[in-house]
Amino acid sequence: MSTTASPTGLADPDELDLRLPVSYLADGHSVRSWLLTTDHKRIAILYAVTITLFFFIGGAAATLVRLELATPEADLLRADTYNKLFTLHGVVMVWFFLIPSIPNTLGNFLVPLMIGARDVAFPKLNLISWYLNVGGGSLAVAALLLGGVDTGWTFYVPYSTVFSNTWVSLTVLGVFTTGFSSIATGVNFIATIHLLRAPGMTWFRLPLFVWAMYTTSLMFVLATPVLAVTLLLVFAERTFGLPIFDPARGGDPILFQHLFWFYSHPAVYIMVLPAMGVVSELITCFARRKVFGYSFMVYALVAIAVIGFFTWGHHMFTSGMSPYAALVFSFLSFVVAVPSAIKVFNWTGTLYRGQVGFESPMLYALGFVGLFTLGGLTGLFLASIPVDVHVQDTYFVVAHFHYIMVGASVSAYFGGLHFWWPKITGRTYPETWARFAAILMFFGFNLTFFPQFIAGYLGMPRRYHAYPPEFQIWNVLSSAGAAVLAVAYLMPLGYLTWSLLFGERATNNPWDASGLEWRTTSPPPRQNFFGSPRIQGGPYNYHPEGVAPVHDQPRLPSRGSLT
Amino acid sequence: MSRADVEACLREGHPDIEARMREPWSDLETDHATAFARQRDGAAFGIWVFLASEVLFFGALFLTYTAARLANQEAFAAAGRETNIVFGTLNTAILLTSSLTMAVASQAADKGLFRRLTLWCLAATAVFGLAFLVVKGFEYREDIEKHLVPGAHFALSQAPAQIFFGFYWLVTVVHAIHLSIGIALVTRLAVMGWRDVDFLKENPQVEVTALYWHLVDVVWIFLYPMLYLPGRSG
Amino acid sequence: MSEEAESKSTETPGALWRRNLWVWAALMLLLALSTWAAYWPYGRIDTAVGFGIAGAKTALVALVFMQLKHASGLVRVVAACGLFWAAILFALTLADVLSRMANR
Repeated sequence: MSTTASPTGLADPDELDLRLPVSYLADGHSVRSWLLTTDHKRIAILYAVTITLFFFIGGAAATLVRLELATPEADLLRADTYNKLFTLHGVVMVWFFLIPSIPNTLGNFLVPLMIGARDVAFPKLNLISWYLNVGGGSLAVAALLLGGVDTGWTFYVPYSTVFSNTWVSLTVLGVFTTGFSSIATGVNFIATIHLLRAPGMTWFRLPLFVWAMYTTSLMFVLATPVLAVTLLLVFAERTFGLPIFDPARGGDPILFQHLFWFYSHPAVYIMVLPAMGVVSELITCFARRKVFGYSFMVYALVAIAVIGFFTWGHHMFTSGMSPYAALVFSFLSFVVAVPSAIKVFNWTGTLYRGQVGFESPMLYALGFVGLFTLGGLTGLFLASIPVDVHVQDTYFVVAHFHYIMVGASVSAYFGGLHFWWPKITGRTYPETWARFAAILMFFGFNLTFFPQFIAGYLGMPRRYHAYPPEFQIWNVLSSAGAAVLAVAYLMPLGYLTWSLLFGERATNNPWDASGLEWRTTSPPPRQNFFGSPRIQGGPYNYHPEGVAPVHDQPRLPSRGSLT
Repeated sequence: MSRADVEACLREGHPDIEARMREPWSDLETDHATAFARQRDGAAFGIWVFLASEVLFFGALFLTYTAARLANQEAFAAAGRETNIVFGTLNTAILLTSSLTMAVASQAADKGLFRRLTLWCLAATAVFGLAFLVVKGFEYREDIEKHLVPGAHFALSQAPAQIFFGFYWLVTVVHAIHLSIGIALVTRLAVMGWRDVDFLKENPQVEVTALYWHLVDVVWIFLYPMLYLPGRSG
Repeated sequence: MSEEAESKSTETPGALWRRNLWVWAALMLLLALSTWAAYWPYGRIDTAVGFGIAGAKTALVALVFMQLKHASGLVRVVAACGLFWAAILFALTLADVLSRMANR
């Protein structure tokens, strides 16, 4: 491996084992040094621990749901337990796993490293954000232990305000609290990216992951307060009897849906934009190509973040909304597909004539592209009013949003986790196991959710614990897939834990990647870099500008035990 | 005050800059004066981003009001007549005046001038804030006596008037919570500034608190025509 | 403003107050005007005047007290973003609410 000075590098990507300061992991071992830390890297780890916990709580609820649905009869759960389980699954997975997943773990860890900063702009606020997240999560889990909630994750009024006798208020308060954690993270990232970029790190030299975090933060800051208000109104109506949406007194329940989806539709982009950022990093690295159309990738991210705010009404076509408004929202929903398609074509363009390697992060990334495309295209079905009226509230919708939120976002999260694992922990993991888990996840996912498209199109409604027997074949396939998927999710928990204890030491840049975060030790020291980084070129410097890789050149072998 | 000003006046010599630098700004690869100016810019920028978020927070509340009022205009006019315009107008005047003292305090601290003026203005701001809450308390007592709390014993016959008062109670309480946080922040600044002679001088916390205070004032500026002015002419 | 050009050595408490007091006076005038206007017998025009004055007061507070007038371009963009996104929320929601009312 040549060690010529890289345009973005500090000096030598090979490990210099002399006079190095201790890593952030070795910088204090007490519980206090973790719980009161202001180091963005440690806060990222704190988040990683809590979201993993929530992931398995939400996953357990989904397991029970899929078990119940294996047969048409209600044999495992009562209707009302079933309602509480899918609500728990939705609430926990959306607000306590998916929303914080990539931004607060990988984003917290990587944004300062990628822009050459020492930390985020407001380190204490960063820690407060974690505590708000944990506090909100505890309230939601407390509601679960006390008896659960049966409204679905959307808390639609008037059911949630007038009729439901479950722990709605407490859950809503938990989500309200965690909303402020999102806002704090958003403010922090925006200020960090604006004000703490290293000398030479201009806006159009930022890695796409940083752009994705920036646009996600915009949505955090501008969408989350509306959710907070919406939930506050539900809380006030339930707890203090202040009627806002009560139709009996002239209130408008559809107004609740407007406010709720003004947040919750952009929330889908909060989940998928970070995933797009991760995948952009992965595909360029493992195709050994500059990203195709960097500036259009940036514009597409910004366009999705902005146009994503104009489309929320497509969740409400059958709610009794005005048909004129429905037409406008339908059109705008088609518009937002354009930048998403640009991104898919650009990832494909990046692969073209690249020296594609199939290491485990790349397998996740390629899985993402396929699943995102399928999820996105079925989104277009749902954006057109006639089709939506046919499949509204069926498993078609369930399948569609799981393709985006689980297929795309979770795949990208796992891809990013595997890619940056050596940097975060300083250890390597068994690559064969990782590849197997990645492939298993792809197949398990499709087996779980593709049959739901068919069942939904044939008319199987969502949110029922029993169903007509003609749908059983699709549900058995889906439940079988869920079992495969569960194994695929548990495997990384096993081998990544193993790698923490017994894994080989990772080198500084095991993938031979070009980003600034690889130009420091694995794991990085508290202050991130030795000296102050200066940036002299654009990102993804995998080959000279304007030159295609030579076709027959053998792929550069990666170092370490990863391949 | 522009950044160039800050840098210029900082270079004239403030040996205590280093003590005021915070992570990660202290690690910026510039001289201390520039780094300190960027730290101040960062604080102001951060609070503005948060204020943009608050605009959406209150914007959503105002939208709820707007939609409900459009659909129930007569009931809202009848309900609006029941609020006490004297208390409402007095409170608006109090908050507008508190914004004046807050602005003077912030501008004086910004240039590192007139410590006593800054302290007095901060104290006055906190007192005006408390006065607002006291007036609001009297108003709440009157509202409860007039049975203006939505529910079985509500005073007005039109059902949608309950939505108006549902909104009234929610939004005034949310505003009062915001104001109480503001009073706590201003009081903290006043106490710290009184104990430590150099604390307020060029401290970004003053500007941040002031910006937050003004936003709470702006929210009330809109609540005034929403809650107190409907139906007065009818 | 001309005061801005003055160096800090010539800044006096009087100048500081003068710069802000006229805004306070204007705010009080506007408050009195909007209270009076609410009693005009013009129905909806009263409402429009009330909210118009609220907008004017907000502009004064934001530009002078919050110093948006002298703020960096970045800060102005942030403030504009808050308003723009609130406008999206209002415009699209009211598009539905109003067209439902018109068709009732």
